[in-house]
Amino acid sequence: MSSSEWLIKQYEGDYMFSMRIDKIIRHSDDVSTLFFSSRLRSYPGQFIMLNLPRYEEIPLSLSSPNSVTVRAVGETTYALIRLSAGEIVGIRGPFGKPFTPTDGKALLVAGGIGAAPLYYLHDYLKRRGAEVKVLFGARKAEELVWKDRFSVLMVATDDGSEGLRGTVIDLLKEEELQQYDRIYVCGPEEMLRKAFTHLKEKEVLGKAEFSLERYMKCGIGVCGTCILEDGSRVCAEGPVFSGKDLEGVEF
Amino acid sequence: MLEIDVASLKMKSPLVLASGVLGSFSPSLSRVAEHAGAVVTKSVGLQPREGYRTPVIINTPHGLINAVGLSSPGCEEFSKELSKFRGDAKLIVSLFASEPDDFVKLSSYFDMADAFELNLSCPHVSDAGLTVGSDPELVKEIVEKMKSRSSKPVFPKLSAATDYIEVAKAAEEGGADGIVAINTLRGMAIDIGTRKPILSNISGGVSGEGIKPIAMKVVWDLYEELEIPVIASGGATTWRDVIEFILAGARAVQIGSAFFYSYRVFYSIKESLIAYLRKEKISLNELVGMAHKTV
Repeated sequence: MSSSEWLIKQYEGDYMFSMRIDKIIRHSDDVSTLFFSSRLRSYPGQFIMLNLPRYEEIPLSLSSPNSVTVRAVGETTYALIRLSAGEIVGIRGPFGKPFTPTDGKALLVAGGIGAAPLYYLHDYLKRRGAEVKVLFGARKAEELVWKDRFSVLMVATDDGSEGLRGTVIDLLKEEELQQYDRIYVCGPEEMLRKAFTHLKEKEVLGKAEFSLERYMKCGIGVCGTCILEDGSRVCAEGPVFSGKDLEGVEF
Repeated sequence: MLEIDVASLKMKSPLVLASGVLGSFSPSLSRVAEHAGAVVTKSVGLQPREGYRTPVIINTPHGLINAVGLSSPGCEEFSKELSKFRGDAKLIVSLFASEPDDFVKLSSYFDMADAFELNLSCPHVSDAGLTVGSDPELVKEIVEKMKSRSSKPVFPKLSAATDYIEVAKAAEEGGADGIVAINTLRGMAIDIGTRKPILSNISGGVSGEGIKPIAMKVVWDLYEELEIPVIASGGATTWRDVIEFILAGARAVQIGSAFFYSYRVFYSIKESLIAYLRKEKISLNELVGMAHKTV
């Protein structure tokens, strides 16, 4: 045990603090889940700014109160997914607007690594007694990361290696949307736009929420890097936006 | 009720968005402009500039520490972005450069600007900002050149970590229309868990509530020493802070780090200022520098 162990602790208000990585699950070649030494007081949909010493500080959605699920896309994320248990990372947050929960019927629509915040939301809603169904799409079967976290699940893959051959939007189009109290969407931009168009056509935007991703520097609403067309800050007014908020906004 | 003139700028309110906060894109500038008298853009240079690696901003219990590193898309790209500004407030473009001629050249890209702020005080970049702003002769030359080419107001932004009275007087002699004081102050933070400095640049500039008393003293001094108007910048977070700066001598007050608390901070302060002026039956103009009369 290092002498600074006792300093590595819980949420400390609005300063950066350190946490130890207790456990890592390698889901695939390029996706891992990192578990922290303690839970963060947070809500599903919120993100943290995670600082990997000697690399960069990046925004990551929480995939549970004590984890992030990361896909390697750059230098920092590449190093993150290969981290060993016991390493220490810096954390600021949690920040941002979370999903609005329901205890009725919920539909979760996940594209690829966009599933990350929805793992957390799934568990949170189930605990509230909601009836949760998940639609999960990816390019191929291996990318349907951690899919057994979802209890009621339909999957689609581009190459047909698992579930429906097609996209998660094809699954969404099969759904009778009126029956749901809330619809939550997270995934790559093109998928978000297609989901948005479909939900708008079906006139259910009012109960839909979208989690957006943007490059961020501060995470706290001051630097102005993650601004949308209407002036909203993805880090503060988002990352979760209601369908109504996004009407007329290019995203 | 809050209308005030700062040099030739007729502003609808004394509240001004400080440079470096929400100032990189037109949508956020336009949104803040709704309840502001003016908005100052993120500082722009002639060439695109990457800035430092993250972490570049950290929040502390008393304000922020940043070392963004003057990241900028460069003047050509930025002028395209600012052409989309639709805000109902004066647009002040913040410029950084090392040479007087470069400031002049930069300003020529921004026809849409109502005024220019000169960043002579960024504390964490070696060839611009404070390096330039600590040299009174150079500051005077920059302002003279700017004023000889354009009739638009020019506001040098100074640091408290220099002989600011001397520099401000040089700027005034050069023809500056007002002085913005202060920029962030050098500072740093070390994470005791990882035992490492948090910012990638090791140190940065401290802004927010913690530096307000320092800014207050600079504004006070400059009001005593200068004829031209002073624009306060440094930690104003609530309407009380704004009144305090005005009493110290500021004709306008910049707000930046307070956006950490709310995007609606300008609206809320604006309404409170109106309420205060009504309750006290006093005008903004009367309040400017009023604290000096009682000592």
